[in-house]
Amino acid sequence: MSKPISEMGWDELVPGAALHTFDGTVETNLSNIQPEERKYSETSSKSMSVGDWRVIKPVWNSETCIDCQNCWVFCPDTSIIARNKEMRGVDYEHCKGCGLCVSVCPTNPKSLLMFNEYVTVEDALSQWPEKKKKGEL
Amino acid sequence: MNSRKMELNKVEVWDGNMANSQAFRQADVDVVAAYPITPSTATVENYAMFHANGYIDGEVIMTESEHAAMSGCIGAGAAGGRVATATSSQGLALMIETLYQASGMRIPVVLCLVNRALAAPLNVNGDHSDLYLTRDAGWVSIDAFSPQQAYDMTLMSFRISEHLDVRLPVISNQDGFMTSHTAQNVHPLDDDTASKFVGEYKQVNALLNFEKPVTHGVQTEQDWHFEHKAKQHAALMGAKKVVKEIFAEFKELTGREYKVVESYGMEDAEVAIVCLGSTYETAIVAIDEIKKEEGINVGVVAPRLFRPFPLEEVAAELQTVKAIACMDRSAPGGTVGTLYNEISGALINTPARPLVTNLIYGLGGRDMTVAGLKDIFRQLDKDAKAGKISGNIQKLVGVRGPELSFYNVQGL
Amino acid sequence: MSTLQNTQKEIKNLKSFSTAAERFEGSHLLCPGCAHSIIVREVLNATNDNLVVAASTGCLEVCTAIYPHTSWDCSWIHIGFENSSTAIAGAETMHKVLKRKGRMNSDEPDPKFVAFGGDGSTYDIGFQWISGCFERGHNMMYVCLDNEVYANTGGQRSSSTPIGSSTTTAPAGSHSYGEKRQKKDIVSIMAAHGSPYVAQVAPNKWKDMVKKIQRGFATEGPVFINAMSACTTEWKFAPNQTIEVSDLAVDSLVFPLYEIIDGKELNITYRPKNVVPVRDYLGAQPRFKHLFKPENEYLIDEWQKRIDARWEFLQKREEIKL
Repeated sequence: MSKPISEMGWDELVPGAALHTFDGTVETNLSNIQPEERKYSETSSKSMSVGDWRVIKPVWNSETCIDCQNCWVFCPDTSIIARNKEMRGVDYEHCKGCGLCVSVCPTNPKSLLMFNEYVTVEDALSQWPEKKKKGEL
Repeated sequence: MNSRKMELNKVEVWDGNMANSQAFRQADVDVVAAYPITPSTATVENYAMFHANGYIDGEVIMTESEHAAMSGCIGAGAAGGRVATATSSQGLALMIETLYQASGMRIPVVLCLVNRALAAPLNVNGDHSDLYLTRDAGWVSIDAFSPQQAYDMTLMSFRISEHLDVRLPVISNQDGFMTSHTAQNVHPLDDDTASKFVGEYKQVNALLNFEKPVTHGVQTEQDWHFEHKAKQHAALMGAKKVVKEIFAEFKELTGREYKVVESYGMEDAEVAIVCLGSTYETAIVAIDEIKKEEGINVGVVAPRLFRPFPLEEVAAELQTVKAIACMDRSAPGGTVGTLYNEISGALINTPARPLVTNLIYGLGGRDMTVAGLKDIFRQLDKDAKAGKISGNIQKLVGVRGPELSFYNVQGL
Repeated sequence: MSTLQNTQKEIKNLKSFSTAAERFEGSHLLCPGCAHSIIVREVLNATNDNLVVAASTGCLEVCTAIYPHTSWDCSWIHIGFENSSTAIAGAETMHKVLKRKGRMNSDEPDPKFVAFGGDGSTYDIGFQWISGCFERGHNMMYVCLDNEVYANTGGQRSSSTPIGSSTTTAPAGSHSYGEKRQKKDIVSIMAAHGSPYVAQVAPNKWKDMVKKIQRGFATEGPVFINAMSACTTEWKFAPNQTIEVSDLAVDSLVFPLYEIIDGKELNITYRPKNVVPVRDYLGAQPRFKHLFKPENEYLIDEWQKRIDARWEFLQKREEIKL
């Protein structure tokens, strides 16, 4: 794939507008290798970013997180990364800021909270709320 | 090749449908997804009978509609194997969106289209309405005029469709009833030779190739659509070269020679007709008779390769005649017929300036006889001698009632 | 009848489920908070086998395969609006043939064939196609992504749209309370085809859903899964409420979770600890807000009665195992 697709003329395109997800061939069952070990081509949507859809973003607090993986299963954008049964973080390239991860986080205080896009992760963590007491709104 | 072979006679007596079915069988089609409709039903029924008697290693899916039949063919073809089906008329009309999808997705499929009139009114007989409906669908389209040719064309369709420079679906046409239900002598290839000629299916971007996951059937918007349609068009136009190569190879194998544009009597013709289907064979008889009896020199031209349209070859064939009648066997839908348009379009940029008329004939299986053709030839001869069309450009011939004709541009 | 190669992966709990190597990528164009992708991820992650996936024209197809990007890490095909089911049936048949003719790698277990379609495709325009596939008994799974409207084209009604819902082609107005027809019972219809396994699932109850998907994958023949897909854009709730609304749907029994085996044995697979009034479910979605006008409130009562009656019926059927 030497030439980016955007520069190709009709004669260089794959017939039928077919798209290949990976460069080269896949040697092993994909379920056995995590995405970071796969050779995605520029035609996989993974190579794109939709981070600019956000105006607010989720910030993850690893201190309070219990690795329940609720956020992982309910993320519509494959943007909660979990490895070896542990939460690793948010994939900000693919996160659209929907806030579902926050809504399903069971800890008190939540381990995922939405902040304005311009707030840095460090600042967000320093502003983390305290544990809510019973009856507190 | 299928594991159970059929011992065929050197000369078989087959109708056009059986010719299709046998070609499918010998081509070792992997999946036939089909729906029955007159007059193509027997293509599917014969094939199902072969399957029931162990002559087919592939599968037969009897779908619940023609649209589903072609959808199944596309899914199976994209999965990575040889697929084929047959239909006519209403069934073809029902699957029309899938025809565009198959060609856009560049999936090789062979469709035996047994040409039949389109409703309404409902008619099961042969005319070219359904053939014309496929015009813009992006398929290669070839026409057979007899059961022998139906067998030959259908067999060759697989080679054309799967050729790596083409990878487009192909329609193998024949006249409904006139060819599909008329039994004639057919010289088939034996199973081994036919199988060797068609060859093995080569996968391209197959869904079942898990080493290279592929996405088929994407959406393209204003930034990409034109490039993909351009590429598809280029492939279809390039298919003419492949058709000629396959025809040449077939001639070596069988001695039967086919051309992208067939013609008869054009060496000394002063007038000509252009037509498709079995009318071509009737014309040969009429041409010989009228030459002997009345000294009129007529020729007939038929674009056997209908799509991609062999514009240059057709134009070359018609440079020396003084009058041409383009005979369209389909209700014209408010304008001149398809052949009139395509022939005139082919000639307009050449020096030839013959008189060109459009005859609408044979709708719904109305017969075009030798006598009827001779009348047409005489009129052409008269027009050519007078140097002008007598009457209007388009006439409906063979219909009871007052003369129905349209379009007059004399005096412009 | 031959047995399917059972290569089921074991999913003990959510932590072990989270070790799945994803085959559905982000940066698709689905709305933030869309349940479709939650469903697709749960389905694809429920198996480690090779996948051949088809989708009908609709939100999922349009948003995951716009040239030049694809979100699918597996073989995928889209033909048209009606026919993801038939596309997959064709692929499944071709696989059968190629295997028989020795043209497939015989070491690998059979791939899973999955067709996705929205309620538009499933309940309406593609209904005949699915019926044909199920009658013919292909080895495939069909997952309906049911958001109760033609969402991709802006929210027009489908035969899955429930009574009283406001859609763009059956809107609520001064002279109408919106959709006048009842939601079609697609699960019963597919069970009546003699399908070996049909089930209704919701992505918020991931364990129930994944269990059913795995059972579907292990079942030979055509399997139908109706998956509730709460649509933030068309049901008009905030993107971060998708799981909350889905919870209300299953806890109010508006979207009961059950399975039917061989068209006969019905099992209810989720019994809410606390059943929520239907009113609360309707109240969470602005597509129903006009029902809370005094002149329309009777419709909410009718809703509750209908849901209660159906729950009764489901429980009775479960009892008698017929």
